[in-house]
Amino acid sequence: MPLFRRTSRRYLVVLAVAAAVATAFVQRHPVVHAQPSEASQLTVYSPQTTYSVPVLDQNGQPYVGLVELLEPLGTVEARPDGKKYKLRYTPPGGKPREAQFTEGKDKGKLAGNGYKLPGNFILQNGRGYIPLAVVPDVMLRLATLEVEYHPASRRLFAGNPPERFTLDLRKDTTSRLFISFPAAVNPSISTEAGHVRFTFRREPVIPAGADSVKFSDPLITGATFSEHGGMAELDVLGTAPLMANFADGGKTIIVAAAPAPPPPVAQAPEPSTQSPSNAPAPAPPPQRPSTPRFLVLIDPAHGGTDLGAAITPSLAEKDIVLALARRVQRELANRGIAAGLLRNSDVALSLDQRAVAVNAARPALYVALHAANTGRGVHVFTSLLPAANLSRQDFLPWDTAQSAFIDLSGSVAGSVAAELDARKMPYTTLVAPLRPLNNVAAPAIAVEIAPATDKVEEIASASYEEQVAQSIAAGIAAVRGKLPEVRP
Amino acid sequence: MTRRILLVFAALVIVAIGLAFYALHLRRKVAREEQLAAQQQMAIATPANGPSTPVTLYVASDNNGALTKTEINAVLPVERSERDRSILRALLELYLRPQTSHPIGAGADIRDVYVMGDDTAIVDTNSAFADAHPSGVLAEELTVASIVTTLNANDTRISKLKILVNGQERETLAGHADLRRFYLASNVGQATKDTP
Repeated sequence: MPLFRRTSRRYLVVLAVAAAVATAFVQRHPVVHAQPSEASQLTVYSPQTTYSVPVLDQNGQPYVGLVELLEPLGTVEARPDGKKYKLRYTPPGGKPREAQFTEGKDKGKLAGNGYKLPGNFILQNGRGYIPLAVVPDVMLRLATLEVEYHPASRRLFAGNPPERFTLDLRKDTTSRLFISFPAAVNPSISTEAGHVRFTFRREPVIPAGADSVKFSDPLITGATFSEHGGMAELDVLGTAPLMANFADGGKTIIVAAAPAPPPPVAQAPEPSTQSPSNAPAPAPPPQRPSTPRFLVLIDPAHGGTDLGAAITPSLAEKDIVLALARRVQRELANRGIAAGLLRNSDVALSLDQRAVAVNAARPALYVALHAANTGRGVHVFTSLLPAANLSRQDFLPWDTAQSAFIDLSGSVAGSVAAELDARKMPYTTLVAPLRPLNNVAAPAIAVEIAPATDKVEEIASASYEEQVAQSIAAGIAAVRGKLPEVRP
Repeated sequence: MTRRILLVFAALVIVAIGLAFYALHLRRKVAREEQLAAQQQMAIATPANGPSTPVTLYVASDNNGALTKTEINAVLPVERSERDRSILRALLELYLRPQTSHPIGAGADIRDVYVMGDDTAIVDTNSAFADAHPSGVLAEELTVASIVTTLNANDTRISKLKILVNGQERETLAGHADLRRFYLASNVGQATKDTP
């Protein structure tokens, strides 16, 4: 018995030691969840753009990637070197500032001064992560931007203060609530019984007054503002169905009672040869025609666990193309062309999901961006599919939807190639068996950047990406007149 | 009683560890045998005896994104599928050389070519062909185009081709080129600049 006790005690000791070693290992090699939920994101409103940064959970403490945080605002060069991580950020037209941290340490340097993080710095797959709590401070010191941060909702207003809206209830013949914004807004609107709710995903709006307002009105009884998950919501309450209309170029939203439903139309009797009906056919419900618009949808390929090509051991295709996509978006905006990104953070999308999202958005042009370390310069692709004389208004076969747009896609590719040529950049134009290009029911091209010289790292240099982005944007602007605007 | 359970548990752990090592050993052994078989088959692909036949290869170059037409002489099997397989192996062999203009993954090989209905070829490649292929639109497109164009140039009745990996359909070659579809030789001809 004593032998048994000693033996079992030894087993227990061994097990305890093993558990302690395993725990220590896990502590030293923390797992950062790569797939944050939609709610776990930080929304940054800056003068240049509004963007989301994934917030990753590390032992209960939220972290964000430094590159993801700063890249949309300027030029970022990150250099992981063993356990050390150096980052240089250059704001547009400004002087570069540097940050330096060490994996597993909470002390580092920020803009030349010592800096202590509230948690250890994390370095994973060549990407550096800092605790979310220091983001406002880092933005101030590195990006030199005045920051207002709403921690509960994870909304960060950098550079410009939030835009404050006012509520004005006017009682004329009927009650109407005027919601006035300093700039045009485009919220998603949902109506329920007694509610009309506005969700602001990209607008840096907050109320000028209290979050919750009550009105002594028989129709509109109040409004409540809330922020959560990087979004803002305004809920207008009423005693009857409400509807919203935009005015003043989108700067004002007017909430009023929804018109009463039309009286039910008497159903026309079944056609009969004996007594033809004289009842008028029910008129279709009036529909407000949507305005055609010219939208370019940019698709930075890969993302999330799909790294794409490994350009260097620490440089993945998915990161290069996201940075390039943001540059192209800026360059298009400079030319007065609206552009959206299919992904604006490090998320994974399947090829079919990309195609579905593109076709649902109904863009005037789709641009897929890729990067590789094979070949030289810029490769501009259109789909390998042969042109087909299909009506673009009809349902198109999923696998060959692009056939109906091949001619327009070729025009765009040719125009981008001409701009590359004008900038004396090496390029190749080809057709390629590339998905989801074939499934896109819109003019579509793919652009793959490769190093222009033997220096592979050059592919991620700011000057090279800038030249490519300018060529793409200029090429698109040059053929804009040929591409039809599309009703959303 | 508890001691017995602990001993059984310990024995089971030892057996599990042993089995894991054995599985690893078997996996390595299979990989070695596959490599050996591939090397032997490569040797079979170019028999030393028989009449020499001119073969046209469309060789890809990453630098200019073009296919270059190259003529070689090779001794080919008589049977059509074997003959097509030998031609494609000769093409891959060029890509596996150290100074190639279009590198592909080490160990890449053609397992089989199946000819269906006279005009359709199913090219079954091994895992290394796709798993180790450089990722990139241009790199993958050139590989596909050179295979389709080369096969069509030497077996002109083949107008349609599909590429499998280890007998299975795969979504893309290495993240870009679509492998779910059949390629028409008439389409792929426009995919690359053809340099003489």
